[in-house]
Amino acid sequence: MTEYEAVIGLETHIQLNTITKIFCACKADSWFDPPNTNICPVCTGLPGVLPVLNRAVVEKAVLLAAAMHSEVRPLSFFDRKNYFYPDLPKGYQISQYDCSLAAGGYMDVPMPQGYVRRVNIHKLHIEEDAGKTKNAGGVRLIDFNRCGVPLVEMVTGPDLRSGDEAAQYLIRLRQLLRWLGVSEADMEKGHLRCDANVSIRPRGADYLNPKTEIKNVNSIDAVREAITREIERQIHETEAGRRIEAWTLDWDEETGRLSKMRSKETEADYRYFREPDLLPVRLDDAWRDAILAQLPELPLARRARFMADYGLPEYDAELLTGERGLSDYFESAVKAYGGDPKRISNWLLNDVMRMLNDRGMSASELKITPTHLAEIVKLVDADTINTSTGKALLVKVQESGRAPAEIVQAEGLAQVKDDAAIRAVVEAILQANPKEVQAYRGGKTTLMGWFVGQVMRQMKGKADPNLARRVLEELLG
Amino acid sequence: MELCDLSALELSRLLRRREVSAQEILDSTLERIRAVDGRPGTLEPGEALPEDARRIHAFISFTEDQARAQAQAVDRQLAAGEDPGLLAGIPFTVKDIFCVRGTYSTAASRILANFRAPYTATPVERMLAAGGLMIGKVNLDEFTYGSSNESSAFQPSPRNPWNLDRVPGGSSGGSAASVAAGEAALSLGTDTAGSIRQPAAFCGVVGMKPTYGRVSRYGLIAFASSLDCPGPLARTVADAALMLRVIAGPDEHDGTAALVEVPDYLAELERGVRGLRIGLSPDYFRITAPNPDGSLNEEPIAPEIERAVLDAARRLREMGAEIIEDVPMPNTRYGIPAYFVISRVEAASNLHRYDGAKYGYRTPDPVDDLHAMYRRSRAQGFGLQPKLRILMGMYVSAAQYSAQYYRRALRVRTLIRRDFDRIFDPSGPYRLNALLTPTTPTTAFGMGAVYGDSVLMQYADQLTVPSNHAGIPGVSLPAGFDAAGLPIGIQLLGPDFSEADLLRIGRAYELATAGEPWRAARPAIFDAAR
Amino acid sequence: MTETIPPDVFAHLVGLAALELSAAEAEYLRQQLNNQLKAIHELAAIPLDETVPVTSHGVPYTPEISPPPRADEWRPYPNPEEILEQAPLVDDGYVVVPEIPHTDLE
Repeated sequence: MTEYEAVIGLETHIQLNTITKIFCACKADSWFDPPNTNICPVCTGLPGVLPVLNRAVVEKAVLLAAAMHSEVRPLSFFDRKNYFYPDLPKGYQISQYDCSLAAGGYMDVPMPQGYVRRVNIHKLHIEEDAGKTKNAGGVRLIDFNRCGVPLVEMVTGPDLRSGDEAAQYLIRLRQLLRWLGVSEADMEKGHLRCDANVSIRPRGADYLNPKTEIKNVNSIDAVREAITREIERQIHETEAGRRIEAWTLDWDEETGRLSKMRSKETEADYRYFREPDLLPVRLDDAWRDAILAQLPELPLARRARFMADYGLPEYDAELLTGERGLSDYFESAVKAYGGDPKRISNWLLNDVMRMLNDRGMSASELKITPTHLAEIVKLVDADTINTSTGKALLVKVQESGRAPAEIVQAEGLAQVKDDAAIRAVVEAILQANPKEVQAYRGGKTTLMGWFVGQVMRQMKGKADPNLARRVLEELLG
Repeated sequence: MELCDLSALELSRLLRRREVSAQEILDSTLERIRAVDGRPGTLEPGEALPEDARRIHAFISFTEDQARAQAQAVDRQLAAGEDPGLLAGIPFTVKDIFCVRGTYSTAASRILANFRAPYTATPVERMLAAGGLMIGKVNLDEFTYGSSNESSAFQPSPRNPWNLDRVPGGSSGGSAASVAAGEAALSLGTDTAGSIRQPAAFCGVVGMKPTYGRVSRYGLIAFASSLDCPGPLARTVADAALMLRVIAGPDEHDGTAALVEVPDYLAELERGVRGLRIGLSPDYFRITAPNPDGSLNEEPIAPEIERAVLDAARRLREMGAEIIEDVPMPNTRYGIPAYFVISRVEAASNLHRYDGAKYGYRTPDPVDDLHAMYRRSRAQGFGLQPKLRILMGMYVSAAQYSAQYYRRALRVRTLIRRDFDRIFDPSGPYRLNALLTPTTPTTAFGMGAVYGDSVLMQYADQLTVPSNHAGIPGVSLPAGFDAAGLPIGIQLLGPDFSEADLLRIGRAYELATAGEPWRAARPAIFDAAR
Repeated sequence: MTETIPPDVFAHLVGLAALELSAAEAEYLRQQLNNQLKAIHELAAIPLDETVPVTSHGVPYTPEISPPPRADEWRPYPNPEEILEQAPLVDDGYVVVPEIPHTDLE
């Protein structure tokens, strides 16, 4: 029984989040616009128009290339890729063929099983997006709003070995794109598109068998599933003695099935030639250095640093380097706090995170500044307020924007540690609840929680719960 | 002499002295057009009318109302003591290869006959902003593919004002003819292999191809993007200089429009040629003559044309220029072969967008699917010349042929450029300021005499196309007539961005020949139109 | 490089070019292409040593004369509806074309 391994390469198209399109001054984002309103003569390919390159496209592409450890070329060229398709108004796409902005590179993808898959990048180039078309009862409708949106195309080597690995690669890529601020990378909105090339071979072989190409996968889960299915199919076919043909396959989201697609354009000879309307992209040292100065510490590097320098467990470090806003927030809070970073991590990953999720906000949108958070944790550390008051304080700071200490002062939220005051309340509660007192003394010690709760309620949450418990224990016997 | 026959500079002087009004200039122009142009080119010309053969037919469409409004504005500004612009009150025509908002911008093709441009080409914008009176769109070879204007889908096509049985040249045939016949003082044309200079030579007017990148191509319906150059046609060198000043310069809409300052081309015009080094090359006096089966012969150029060039050289020497003979330009003869490849690859790609989907002609026939719509629309919308260029372009850029044809042609282009680099190199063996050559291998040929033989037609550009490959500027100047009374053109070619020098030499030649009898000749159309 | 374009290659080119031709047109154009190729074949004999590079633009675009890429600033086009007006068939803001030829599904 032959053991097979899957050989998978991914081709991704990444929509850059520049303000304008790559070759004209229309908006790059027109997701909510009515059809054919975000257009101009250039992006609709009218007779006589010329493309003019947007510098921000080069800058974001260079950042991405650097983060992928790619070699950025000081001189790169645009080429025309010629074919007929209704979403391509000029009848050619301006892309980069043999001398693209960057070459080589890799991304390390840590897998949950504990190993790291290094994925090599074969191609990284910039190009313009086409428009959108849809079928409507026997005719095709075309919307040019998206024509000319800037894309980076990245093609990996055949380095992935499973649907899971492919999914992880996309998760990491998406994280990186958002981290760098070069793309919203929302697959559902088409900011990140993926085609997969899949083949199999006997385990240990080093040659490549014919591959199929899977298109139209619109989510990370779909990528995982489609690839997994296709691997199964290829193994099944191979074992049955049939050859794998180089088909293009279409993934149907609804039925979860792959079907064979024959698309004429994939057989085309694109007759690439240098785009005469654009000069070469000249990335001199000064410009390149200015761009790279914007390159932030990357997620995996920061994750390692958080574990090493802050002693955080991998789980925490992973969550705290998932999104840049949250990550930067965490670090500012740690610096303001000065104590054990794990305390800040706990607060952030539990209560603050919950607040962000409930309100659909990101960390950078919080009115609670990192310094505020540090302050709250310090107040709890110092026993000035108890933990539940601390959590309530988060909400109050978010709603008012005022500093924690100010609110504690103004609303008198400080813990009551006055033994006498607590004692008085405890006595009153014991008096009022003889049945429970009886039950407790009879062995039902779980009622202690209830008693503490009653004290807290009576004292409007301000009692020091530890002190309350001690007094209760004393008086209940 | 009518107002419409005066030069732009003359008209400008008279206007500013308030001796004439812009409206009067416009009226004179329109009257001339009515007298000489005959019916404009249309898609359905029907039977030929008897007068067709005695008229110019330079125009496809008119913008008379806008010209009238502009003339009124100019007159108002002058009356108010304001400066109405460098081209104020000057009538000009625009080769219908430029998009002008509110006009049908047709490229002389059925496939764009109904296309109303929503924007205006930069060079036209600049001429209008300078106060020019745009009279209308003039005819051309379809998509600028040709050297005789005969391939236009809008017939009848223009005739040569000097001899109405002859072609005006192409592709800017309408431009050259309209200027020669006094239907405008200036015209905006384009030159990809000689399409300004060759018709200028055939029609006895001045025509300049500026350096590639000197004038913005935004709004120019593209033929060969690395070769196309918008440029001026006029009756005098000074007029060409004036127009160039207005249209040249960087443009945010054109990433290839060079960041080179635009000098005042009129300022140095009268400086003369003392100390300038002007070369003559034997490679420009031998021409390639194709046979009907496509094989090629080499023969000397017609003696009359050679004489015109040598006479010009003599006069320039008399005025103090140094004439350097026997300057080798060995790669000149590869200009057309390389052009056949490079221009077709770019043209085929540039024509991909004409598919009936989003503008222009869509076939009214019922079609099964999208590809049938593409095929039928393009088949019905394009004439033979576009089809020929598309097919050649597809062939020589196909993956399996591209290295031997396209890449090779681009490398031959390097050799052609090096010929010019060597002769213009200030520390090289020749150190020329300009090369003086004939513009065309023949004078204007007869209507129908060449059309149909695409190789022969293309070789009409053999003396102009090398400068397109090299990107350098060139100007054609009227230099007398041959025995048949047809205009002869001489050409000056110079280094990148040397338009000021070329115009200056041209002006000196103009002055030196000012008294010649041929300067007083008038185009035959003026007799025919009576 | 002495081959000419035979009718079958020509027919293939016509398909690639999204054209269709009558028999007479096809024969005339094929003959013109072959004639032009004779001129083009002049290029084959030119000695070109390996060091001769391609020239994409005759004028050398030095950094000084090359326009730099533009700033990332939104300038909405003032009259997009004029662009849409040029389309032969429009429905509810979309440009309408016949459906793409049937794709093979199994």
